[in-house]
Amino acid sequence: MSGAWTAVKEILRGTGITARHFFVNMGLHTLGLFGVRTKRRGAVTIQYPEVRKPLAPRHRSLHRLRPRGDGRPSCVACMLCVTVCPAECITVEAAEDPDPEVQKAPARFVVDLDRCCFCGFCVEACPVDAIRMDTGEIRLASTERADFARRLDRP
Amino acid sequence: MLVDALIVLAKAVLALAWTLLLALFLTWVERKESAVIQDRVGANRASVMGLRLFGLFQPLADAIKMFFKEDFTPSFAQRALHRLAPALSFFFVSVTVVAVPFGDTVHLFGRAVPLQVVDLSAAVLFALAMLSLGTYGILVSGWASASRFALIGSLRGAAQLISYEAALGLSLVGLVMVFPSLSLARIVEAQGGLLFGFLPRWGVFLQPLGFAVFYIAGMAGTKRVPFDMPEGESEIIGFYTEYGGLKFGLFMFADFLEVIVLAVLSTTLFFGGWQVPWLGGEGFAFPWGGRLALAPWAVSALRVLAFNLKVLFFCWLQVLTRWTYPRFRYDQVMDLGWKVLVPLGVVNILATGLVLAAR
Amino acid sequence: MSGAARVGLTIDGRPVEAAAGASVLKAAEAAGIAIPHFCYHPGLEIEGNCRMCLVEIEGYPKLELSCSTVVREGMIVRTSTDRVRAARKDVLEFLLAEHPLDCPICDKAGECLLQDHYGLHGRYAGRMAEVRERREKKIPIGRGLILDRERCVLCTRCVRFLRQVTRTGELGVFERAVGSELGLAEGRPVDNDYSGNLVDICPVGAITSEDFRFRTRAWFLDRRPSVCPRCARGCAVVVESVTGYPLAAGERRVYRVTAGVNPAVNGHWICDLGREGRREIDEGRLGAVLRKGVREPGLAWPGAVAGIAAAVRSVPAAERPGGVAVVLNARLTSEELALARELFVAGLGLRNVFFAGLKPGRADGLLLTAERMPNGRGVLEAGLSPRPPALEALAAARVLIVFGPYLTEHFEAGALGRALAAVPAKFLVSAHAGPLDRLFDAVLPVTVPAEKAGTYTNIDGLRQGFSRAVEPAPGVVPEGAVLARLARSLGLDIGDADAR
Repeated sequence: MSGAWTAVKEILRGTGITARHFFVNMGLHTLGLFGVRTKRRGAVTIQYPEVRKPLAPRHRSLHRLRPRGDGRPSCVACMLCVTVCPAECITVEAAEDPDPEVQKAPARFVVDLDRCCFCGFCVEACPVDAIRMDTGEIRLASTERADFARRLDRP
Repeated sequence: MLVDALIVLAKAVLALAWTLLLALFLTWVERKESAVIQDRVGANRASVMGLRLFGLFQPLADAIKMFFKEDFTPSFAQRALHRLAPALSFFFVSVTVVAVPFGDTVHLFGRAVPLQVVDLSAAVLFALAMLSLGTYGILVSGWASASRFALIGSLRGAAQLISYEAALGLSLVGLVMVFPSLSLARIVEAQGGLLFGFLPRWGVFLQPLGFAVFYIAGMAGTKRVPFDMPEGESEIIGFYTEYGGLKFGLFMFADFLEVIVLAVLSTTLFFGGWQVPWLGGEGFAFPWGGRLALAPWAVSALRVLAFNLKVLFFCWLQVLTRWTYPRFRYDQVMDLGWKVLVPLGVVNILATGLVLAAR
Repeated sequence: MSGAARVGLTIDGRPVEAAAGASVLKAAEAAGIAIPHFCYHPGLEIEGNCRMCLVEIEGYPKLELSCSTVVREGMIVRTSTDRVRAARKDVLEFLLAEHPLDCPICDKAGECLLQDHYGLHGRYAGRMAEVRERREKKIPIGRGLILDRERCVLCTRCVRFLRQVTRTGELGVFERAVGSELGLAEGRPVDNDYSGNLVDICPVGAITSEDFRFRTRAWFLDRRPSVCPRCARGCAVVVESVTGYPLAAGERRVYRVTAGVNPAVNGHWICDLGREGRREIDEGRLGAVLRKGVREPGLAWPGAVAGIAAAVRSVPAAERPGGVAVVLNARLTSEELALARELFVAGLGLRNVFFAGLKPGRADGLLLTAERMPNGRGVLEAGLSPRPPALEALAAARVLIVFGPYLTEHFEAGALGRALAAVPAKFLVSAHAGPLDRLFDAVLPVTVPAEKAGTYTNIDGLRQGFSRAVEPAPGVVPEGAVLARLARSLGLDIGDADAR
């Protein structure tokens, strides 16, 4: 019998909790509707396309190749990123560079975003800190398959 | 004679249209209320010419989507029954509202028009019968789909609805003993007086246990969480597994209509229907002696408003309940029905009988 | 080796036996004990300038060079004492003091002895405080070789190779002390047929090949042994290819052919012609059945073989010996030649079985032979006579089946075209596209030797089996499969019809 009372009590308590949320949030929503700014808001939702959460400093987004002083990518086409990439999404074609201090540069540096899993291993593997995933570009959807093969060696 | 028929027809159309509108609105309420309970915003993107209105157009968008979806019938289904099932569900639940009075009698052009589509002398039984017939929609859908998921769902649904009908019926016996009538119009009229000089003479105050049993059994009858045995998205999907588009939409709509029907019946049977506390034909007569005279049209309007507000409150309460509790296990549902609600209903009848006999 | 005196010694506490006169390093390697080294190369004379192979020998006050110390009876050698390890570490530190850290752009990375030894024996923290010497990083030294003086550790392997093996001596070490650098003697560029070996033997990335430079990375390569088909020597080669996902953008499948080790044939070297063999694996290949020189969609090689069989059957059995002519070549493996003999000579009784092939070239007296077909001896062993094709016999044939694109080596194009025009049914089985393709009714694509398994008998009569080193493209099969299927289609029981 005490079990039944506990059950009834808890049922009512549960309804109380949800009802409290409802009324408190409705109150906050109503205040917000009339332009009153409250410390707590009625909903924790962020209205995504219009409102953006700032990206964390350590986030990983679309790759880029850090440029040298003259604007060409600082990549030396060592293919360590290609080697380490678990998704095999990076394709690099190396070429001779006229600058004897550089010697080797990418003729083509392609990241296939369809395959990329954004693990960031390429960034860690890069010996010259050329590839980075800090563009902040996270909206990478496209309706064209070709758009996913991004060439990073050209702006 | 023709005028009478036309009036009945007008009332029927009005009642049905109002109920359907309410059900449409209820889908929005469900989305928004659950969102507010969970500190979310809820659907707010549907707009007409940039006008969002808190997502009020979401039900319209949903309806348009349902309309334009492919009307698909699986090759293994029994086509005729498969088509019939959603219509059955929808029909039996929407037809219940005709027996419910949504206001008192108004006088229009010298003609007394009761604000009720038809005043059935056994309206309580009619409502119970219609609710029971709703089971067929579920059973037929499961059978016609020829799918394991759908069949299991429909069998569970049938078992659950039949079990809770017993409790539902028993819970109303006490009420009928107190207000000795089976007509909903008589029952509402009987709730007009006062108890102990100040308390409205509503069913809930005379039959608190009866109301509890009725409400819980009614909730089970709507087959919504926490009593959603026939559905169960995570395991059997439900009796409508093989339905899509508008036919699925009808099932969903029937669900919301059931919520409204339960709210309407609760209001009518236990919360005084269109009665407003202390409001008589000439105006308010407060128990502390005050008086407020009102014109007859104002009294009628107030009463219709009161009825609708009560219904809305019960809709709100049901949505709140649905978003509060986790679903029962199947055996728990059966236990609650047969071992708790049915005995409580019997106890309620005995207690009511003893009190009536002692008077 | 048999009959030579054996010497017993102890290395790292293990009793080891070695031939008298062998070095400690060789004895240790034979016993499975690796001693790090740069300048030592088994195919070259000992110079002992890198000091990396120091070991401790009981009774010697100082550490000794294991590459130049000859084993003695009862010698006790230790290769991993603290003293030896410290010495290795110091030697590496000296070697690396001026070595640039451009492993990311160095072709040798991944197969570099410096990298390997640093990982195993170095692992010190750099103490170099002075400014690093800058040297030239890209000097063409001839034959597509590029010298990087910064990377050079002056092991003189290349110098010794050019002096002792090719005896051309184009390279030398000039200047003294920190100024020492590798250079061309008298400014004469490297120009000999074995220049490619310099890339193989360079323990670091000082000499790289333009053909391979920057194309891919060493660790992507799948290395599989094969036998070089470009002359009758039958040198061991390693075919290095990238299979699967294209890790480096480029059309290449086989990135290079390097020297394999076979003391009985080529030792450690191969000629540049053999190295060039990577091109014939990838370039100019036929990928599908051609009909009159045009790609025939929907026709795979079994269908084409059925066509050959139908043509052969259309010649009455009595007229076949003169009416069907076959041109084989000495690139076929011994197994395929045996199959061809069973089919064409024993089975069909053909009189006109010819052998076409590349014209003999220049023999260089080292490895490269004048004969440019790899299995000439195998032809004789198979019981076939290597008769050169006769134009009249070809023109008189009613069915002509040619293996390999070598007819152009024997006949002038116009005469060949006229002769072939007279043949009603003619088929070519070839790995490479060529001018003959449009002259034949059908051309079947087949594999190159690197794509198949088999046996070649080299010019000295040495039989060498080899297995598949590169996967052929889909629809491309070995000639053996064509022969076997043709035999089956003609209803000939030729023993092992599945031989490839």
